[in-house]
Amino acid sequence: MALLEVRNIHKTFGAGDVLKGIDIKIEKGDVVSVLGASGSGKTTFLRCINFLEKADKGQLLFNGTTYDLSKVSKAEMAAVRKHTGFVFQNYCLFANKTVLQNVTLGLTSARHIPQKEAKEKALDVLKKVGMLEHVDKYPSQLSGGQQQRVAIARALATDPSIIYFDEPTSALDPQLTAEVLEVMRKLADDGMTMIVVTHEIGFAKEVSSKVVFMADGVIVEEGSPKDIFVNPREEKTREFLRITG
Amino acid sequence: MFDENTLGLIISSFPKILEYGLKVTIPLAALAFILSTILSVLVAMVQYAQVPVARQICRFYIWIIRGTPLLVQLMVAFYGLPLLGIHSNPFVMAVIVFTINEGAYSAETVRAAMEAVPAGQLEAGYCVGMNYMQIMWHIILPQAFRTAFPSLFNALISMVKDTSLASSITVVEMFTRTKQIAGQSYNYLPLYIEVAIVYLLFCTVLTYVQKRGELALGSYGVRK
Repeated sequence: MALLEVRNIHKTFGAGDVLKGIDIKIEKGDVVSVLGASGSGKTTFLRCINFLEKADKGQLLFNGTTYDLSKVSKAEMAAVRKHTGFVFQNYCLFANKTVLQNVTLGLTSARHIPQKEAKEKALDVLKKVGMLEHVDKYPSQLSGGQQQRVAIARALATDPSIIYFDEPTSALDPQLTAEVLEVMRKLADDGMTMIVVTHEIGFAKEVSSKVVFMADGVIVEEGSPKDIFVNPREEKTREFLRITG
Repeated sequence: MFDENTLGLIISSFPKILEYGLKVTIPLAALAFILSTILSVLVAMVQYAQVPVARQICRFYIWIIRGTPLLVQLMVAFYGLPLLGIHSNPFVMAVIVFTINEGAYSAETVRAAMEAVPAGQLEAGYCVGMNYMQIMWHIILPQAFRTAFPSLFNALISMVKDTSLASSITVVEMFTRTKQIAGQSYNYLPLYIEVAIVYLLFCTVLTYVQKRGELALGSYGVRK
């Protein structure tokens, strides 16, 4: 059984249909890159399946439970979010907390894990992302790449079954992008299940197990990186790849 | 004007004026400030969270209080509460009126400060599994409080001086006490200047406290 399955998500903002029926299946250990032009609905899709946006229609099957995305309760949202991680484009680290507190807060407050145990876990994941020497700094004292690595550590700390990445490197310069992608590549090697909305064609090609191409609120084409990048079937995909190189 | 007698009066009355400042004016302002801050956070949270009905009640409260003079509110409470069977001493009544009055203004300050916290902070809180109240307590309110602190302190400084209006409902605070002393000596101006200086002294100390408070609250590593 798939770890996560999404059926027929629809979402409208005002007059525009942003998602027009998305279906996708994610297996444990999958690294799925979601590509597509701005406005194709990739970010909205990701936000809908973690309930940051309320979908108008659609189902989410997660950990053996089916959720109706258009009327999911607070308790159901919390139940799903306890097992998912989310990494934002603009990091969204808690500005009033240190690096260490950013990582421990989800453990101590939401999961009632004792402070000492939470700290050990936090140091462990901060080491993984190479941020061990910055634990007492505030987010404003870090570079964008460092902030994003802390955000990844924060998502990792809760031992999620899957991590969603929403354009994690779009706010970073090439050098900082490289350091964040390096961390993500390590996660993929460790077998972490991830959905990555990205513009990084290189990452999608080399790291992902599956590539999804979206346009105008639908999935145009999906397959292995080889299927998409070497033998794209759809004209829209070919055109997108021509433009983005 | 400043003959020997006047100078003697100024010196001899200083401890009496200061006494009522420390015994009545400051406690009145401090109590009302603490209570109004708590009230304002509650009112701001109701609006921030867009709680139905309660939100409308809060807007109505703010509308009434901001639209009427403090002096009139004091009078309405002084003559109105006994009609409702609430008899209490003027000091307590003054604390209540100042709390309700300042609560309405500070609620807007706190609400604005909460709304200034980027939406991503709330979303990130949800995504690590926290619930709404946990996010409020750990993330939104601390950041909002830091932003609102100078404005709230501004309100406190205003209130220290506005407590003189409590004299209108028979609270013997620093200004009323000064009037009494002045009335006994028929020497008004020097004593009113003296009490003005004592108010200024109080506010100077508070300004210093604000500065220290801002440093103590820190700025989360943002260089200033």
